[in-house]
Amino acid sequence: MASRIPQFNQQVLYDTTPLPDSIPKVKELGASSAPLMSAAYFIGARCRDYNDDFMQCKNENPGKGEFECLKEGRRVTRCARSVIADINKSCLEEFRKHWTCLEDNNQQLWQCRPAEWKLNKCVFENLGLKKEIPDQPPNVTPVHLRKQMIYAHWPIPRSAEPFVPPTQTGDNNKAPAAASSSS
Amino acid sequence: MPVPFEALIPYAIIVTMFGVTGAGLSAIKTAQNGGKKARWSLDTWDRVLMDRDRRLTGWLRGQTDAADAPYGFEYNNPWRVEKRFS
Repeated sequence: MASRIPQFNQQVLYDTTPLPDSIPKVKELGASSAPLMSAAYFIGARCRDYNDDFMQCKNENPGKGEFECLKEGRRVTRCARSVIADINKSCLEEFRKHWTCLEDNNQQLWQCRPAEWKLNKCVFENLGLKKEIPDQPPNVTPVHLRKQMIYAHWPIPRSAEPFVPPTQTGDNNKAPAAASSSS
Repeated sequence: MPVPFEALIPYAIIVTMFGVTGAGLSAIKTAQNGGKKARWSLDTWDRVLMDRDRRLTGWLRGQTDAADAPYGFEYNNPWRVEKRFS
């Protein structure tokens, strides 16, 4: 088997044999790297369980994960495909602006916060998916909600407001809490 | 006393040459990346994803946001075949 990455190959081999019919067919995801980076946290919000299952299966089967984990992999693909399809249906313009901005900036999320805030707002209102960075310290503004990105090439204009989704505990009908960025 | 501008002409030439090489390099890099800024500090994950972009769209910096892959995407990931050393 491949114990190292091929480095001296002078030809390639395309194997066009399809998979056997006993394996259910799933259409592959057609989104490339920038849209995937942009939608990554929404895919994580919806598909967390399937992704965790797949990663656990791969960890438990070292070396033969490609064969044993086909079912979990199909679930991951279907779930991610559903997220991308829903975003395309409802938030296409903001999505395209965000990933075009990312593609211009080496796919660094901190360069494109205003577009990301608009996308988060649209996705939360239409799909109910929230971007959440896990394991943040509790008394500090999360990094994607700050109004100053210290390594960004351009400062964020003052008119751009970070989108803070309303918290689940209790008052869902209240206005969203103002982002307390005193840093 | 007028400024001796003839003595500063070589400096102007040197600075212009720096500018020409810088602008030329920037133009070449932009042209190579299809009008976008070049990507930098790429690790293996980024290279593998860019290779997947090339398989999806045909060129290294192409991007699509379709939910379904185009026909033939499942079959165009090649095995890289090395000759044996014997």
